[in-house]
Amino acid sequence: MPPVSAMVSPSDRALRCRHRRAGALLFVFAVAGALPGARHAAAQVVHPAVSATLTQRDSDRILPTLTAQAAAEAGDGSPHAAPLPASALTTEDFRRMLPRTDMRSDADANAHPHPHAFLDNGAATSFDAAPIAKNPLAPDAIAIGATSCIACHALENLQASHSLHVRAFRAGAAGTGAAAACESCHGPGSAHARDPTKPGSIIAFTRDAVTPIDAQTGVCLACHEGGARQDWMGSVHQQHELACTDCHNPMARLSAEGALADHSINEVCSTCHQDIRDKFNRRSHMPLPEGQMSCVDCHNPHGTLTADLIKTDTVNGTCYACHAEKRGPFLFEHAPVRESCLTCHDPHGSNQEALLTLPVPMLCQQCHTMTGHPNDLLTTAGLATGPAPDERLIGRACLTCHANIHGSNNPSGSRFHK
Amino acid sequence: MRKLLVPSLAVAIAAAFVGTRAWADSTDSARVGDIQYGNALDPTGWAPLLWADPRGFSWLHAGMMRTPSGVLYPYPPRREDAGSPLYKNSDWVYSGFLQLGYLHVGGDTQAEFLRQYAGWRDGLAPGLFALYADDPKTGQYLEFRGSRLSGDDQYYRLRSGQYGVYKVEAFYRDIPHHVTTSAYPLWNGVGSTDLTLPAPLMPGGSTPPEVAAVEKTRPRQTVGATRRREGLGLEAKLYRDWSGYISIVNEKRTGNGLWGGPMYLNYILEDNGGALETVRPIDFTTTDVSMGLRDAGTVWQFQLNYTGSFFRDHEDQLNFQSPFALRNVAGVPQVANIHQGQFSLEPDNDSHNLRAELSRSLKWNGQLSLATAWGTMRQNDPLLPPVTCTGTGGVFISPSADYTFNCANWNTGAALSRQTAGARIDTGLLDAKLTLRPTSRLGWHAGVRWYREDNKTNYLAFNPLTGQYGYIAENGSQGSIIPGQIGIFDPRNPLFASYVTQVRAIPFGYSDTVFDTGVDWRLGENNTLNLTYSFDRNQPKYRERKRVNEQRIKLAWVDRAIGKGTLRVDYEFAYRNGGPYNYNPYELFYSTALPGFVTPPLGNVAFTTDAMRKYDLANRVEHKFHATLIYPIGATATISAIVYATRDDYAAAIGRQATRNRGFDLSWDWQPSPMTSMNANLGRDDSSLDFSNVGDNENVTGGPGRGDPSLGGPLFPLANQWQGIDHERDYNAGLTLRHDFGRVRADFSYTYTYALGRIGYAFASAGALPITQQPFAGDVGNGFPDNHYHINTLQLGFDIAFSRMLGLRVFDVFETGSFADWHYLGLQGNLVIDHRIYTDLGPQPHYSANLIGVLLNVKL
Repeated sequence: MPPVSAMVSPSDRALRCRHRRAGALLFVFAVAGALPGARHAAAQVVHPAVSATLTQRDSDRILPTLTAQAAAEAGDGSPHAAPLPASALTTEDFRRMLPRTDMRSDADANAHPHPHAFLDNGAATSFDAAPIAKNPLAPDAIAIGATSCIACHALENLQASHSLHVRAFRAGAAGTGAAAACESCHGPGSAHARDPTKPGSIIAFTRDAVTPIDAQTGVCLACHEGGARQDWMGSVHQQHELACTDCHNPMARLSAEGALADHSINEVCSTCHQDIRDKFNRRSHMPLPEGQMSCVDCHNPHGTLTADLIKTDTVNGTCYACHAEKRGPFLFEHAPVRESCLTCHDPHGSNQEALLTLPVPMLCQQCHTMTGHPNDLLTTAGLATGPAPDERLIGRACLTCHANIHGSNNPSGSRFHK
Repeated sequence: MRKLLVPSLAVAIAAAFVGTRAWADSTDSARVGDIQYGNALDPTGWAPLLWADPRGFSWLHAGMMRTPSGVLYPYPPRREDAGSPLYKNSDWVYSGFLQLGYLHVGGDTQAEFLRQYAGWRDGLAPGLFALYADDPKTGQYLEFRGSRLSGDDQYYRLRSGQYGVYKVEAFYRDIPHHVTTSAYPLWNGVGSTDLTLPAPLMPGGSTPPEVAAVEKTRPRQTVGATRRREGLGLEAKLYRDWSGYISIVNEKRTGNGLWGGPMYLNYILEDNGGALETVRPIDFTTTDVSMGLRDAGTVWQFQLNYTGSFFRDHEDQLNFQSPFALRNVAGVPQVANIHQGQFSLEPDNDSHNLRAELSRSLKWNGQLSLATAWGTMRQNDPLLPPVTCTGTGGVFISPSADYTFNCANWNTGAALSRQTAGARIDTGLLDAKLTLRPTSRLGWHAGVRWYREDNKTNYLAFNPLTGQYGYIAENGSQGSIIPGQIGIFDPRNPLFASYVTQVRAIPFGYSDTVFDTGVDWRLGENNTLNLTYSFDRNQPKYRERKRVNEQRIKLAWVDRAIGKGTLRVDYEFAYRNGGPYNYNPYELFYSTALPGFVTPPLGNVAFTTDAMRKYDLANRVEHKFHATLIYPIGATATISAIVYATRDDYAAAIGRQATRNRGFDLSWDWQPSPMTSMNANLGRDDSSLDFSNVGDNENVTGGPGRGDPSLGGPLFPLANQWQGIDHERDYNAGLTLRHDFGRVRADFSYTYTYALGRIGYAFASAGALPITQQPFAGDVGNGFPDNHYHINTLQLGFDIAFSRMLGLRVFDVFETGSFADWHYLGLQGNLVIDHRIYTDLGPQPHYSANLIGVLLNVKL
């Protein structure tokens, strides 16, 4: 979620003042909400100075009012808001809800990282067990619950409701009554509620964030580590300090899939790799401009065992995934073909046919100097319009005879023309 | 395979319903293929749903925020705030969209570049059908997306599951690839394995004018193939942090492709030989299976993955007829009538790969990763006989100079040393990586990777029927023109005891070991330096070098202190060298290595010049520079710029010598409000490649000095050296503009692509040219005519809203292009040139096409 610190325009003083007032109220609400609901466990997460300022009576008085206000402002018909009419909420409700709303920040949960609360009705998903992220820049902050966040961030809540990421959190919360999905990523919100414009008071993921990139990434990896991201550490994108939110925006559904920061994978990648995008405009190219495939069909931007983020053990392994006929092995192999398709092809695009890096026969003549016909300089005289037409230049050139250039399975095919 | 799949699928399905608690972990970005679903009408697969919400993203501020690198996020699309209940009192809610209408393509509708990967056709087209439904209480969901331009360009993808618990995916798609739309194949039977000549042409009995006359009557055809893919996948949580997945994808690829047909060299033998551009069938089936287990714990992470790929080619050969007669150069009566040719097409093959990867988090924010993989690629297809001819092949000069062969001894499987290929390559991978970040300012990583391909193929070209080694070249045509050049070695026959020919398959393989280490050093809040060193030792088998070393140093700098922008600069230096270079490492696989080979008194003709350095093995110095700047302008605009350059220098007198590449890209993005967005971009790329070669002195190949491989020697004189230079320049520009007027929304885009290519050459003397071109050496200039590829595409569209649920999209795309490539120069109306027959005219020199669409938008 974008940080509130980034959302507030520094020049918008009126808005900032209003926000501050809301923040102050929310802070009171937050602390009040946390204390009665989780008093037995929250002592370790609530700042002592704060806990001393509120009584049970204070929270009983403040909570229902603010909750109703927040729910009314949200007004979004969101899955968790609808079944919780604010007027019906009591402190006891919060006592039941908040520990789970806080996504298990309580001591009991910390001691038992695999609770089974969501098994009671079998309805919720694993998302309601997500931990609250730790904010290194606000270590004393405590969770305040999503309802509090939404009190100000109502439109953000609406937009985020369409994203797969947030819908998943909502579904997780539905089974337990929890409502603090925001803090699973942004960390506990009390410091931010107290001073919304203070940089670092909440974990933020945008350009204005003061949260270090590593910390931002760590928040995402806390849930998404392993699997396709197991090789993130040391990958070229990690070394270039890309953050997850350079490519992803989990706060809106901008793309058909993938929670991307732009409208498609290819558009995301071409944000930085414009030179590669241009290659796809060339005469021969993989069908990316036509929407038939994406960069991520071959590359895993999250890191792989190869330097170029190729998904398979080798470049050829990736090419064979779609061009299995080239895999062989053949009775007679062409050495550079077997070792790397890139010896002759530029997979992103080329001004020659079939993604070749040079026109044939020149491509072949970089290596083939053997006595006989391979090493001649072929000139315009050999074109179909020339005085001495030469099949080594016309049409498919060398490949007119050596058609099985990727390897031949014919007993007479050692020169790939059988 | 079935035995393995069924229980695995059952386990995974069962696990899905008992699995409970680990996080969602899509396999998408680790899977090869089928990540993207879109088409030329809508490359995003989502375009109608991307109009921005006028409310923006936040009540608290105007505009959008930026990514950590500084790029503006697009405004979120307009959506209904809540979905509709699936039925009364249902917990499920849904939202959907249907775009349906009529497309019309006008102008040059068969233009190759218009249709390369697009199945445009006139008619009714569902541009997009998207449906999303979920139960917010349980997290169960269902998602469908589909689009259809035509029968060979469509996709449908269904996903269903429960967030974080399981996911089932099924898809069906057709992807077209039109290789050419201007093909005029001479033969009957295109698409089959047997190409026969149309009447009145006679195999081996027609003249070029007769063939040309028939060729002019042949209809225009499109050559290409369609991939029909269908897949089913399941991913499920198993226990705690463990998850499992399995998927099966089946692809049927059908169509045809441009191919060849050699009947020996024509350029040097007027009215003889033959070079035929034929068309081959494509009838492939590939079944891919992937399954695995994952543990995504906080301390330990583990992956075990199996992928199997099973390729089947339902056509194993291509047979073609040549209309031309062959004549031997000895001037004696022709005893052979070779007029048929044959290719083996790709064999069936199986591939298996098993990979395990284990990682453990360490102190100091560290991680240790170990990975290993084993794979194998195998095929054991039946081998075709060496020839298809009947009767006698070769040249008979006299009883003591009898260079003939009996086709019956070679056109049978009994002529082979083995009946099936028995080809196999095993692969192995070991990888270890250690990363530590003891402080927020310092990080260190090191890794070792070892990979090997072990080629176990062992084939000996030996004919048990004749006791001879080697093969019959070009189905017998070569040996029926040039006496003795049949392709066989026979130690018992003096006529063939000195013949140099390949007699064994070469089992190319390699092992590659890479060590790398690097440090990340944070200088203050806004600057990071990264220094990486790697050493790569490649050990190819049966190549010109047994050892190739490459050292690489890379320095990367990330700066976030320039305004609110981000600058990333990389510089890389690499140096490659290696062991001694053997210009002919293939002796072991040639007849020269067999007992009984008689070295001629003047020695064997040198295989090639020893000055040759193949560019994948040659010594090389490389410099790479790449800089990316993302720079915000105010709150609503961003400029991004890329500058790059690469320089490679190869230590090669003959072969590739140097490459240069440099270019830039500039892009300006502006989104002043949710109602308006604009992008303009401009790019240019220049590249060059220098290489050199040397024509052999054909007067020496039969005399003294023919065994001398040295550059400057009698066989490869310096006078015959020549130089080739490739220059390419690419321009790209684009402009997009979208504005929402309220009831009407307009979008405009323009893209411009211009690529220019030029092959230049220089030569020391006419001896560099083939004999046939030497008389014209003074007229050939210094290069080929320029190639170019020039496309302009203009699109204008309007979305008109009639109501909240109903709207109309009207759009027009106009595309014009021009193209030139000297490979096709002069072929128009002239596809038969002496004994050469061409099929493809190449892309159209000029075309203009227009696409109009009227599509109804319905929100469901």
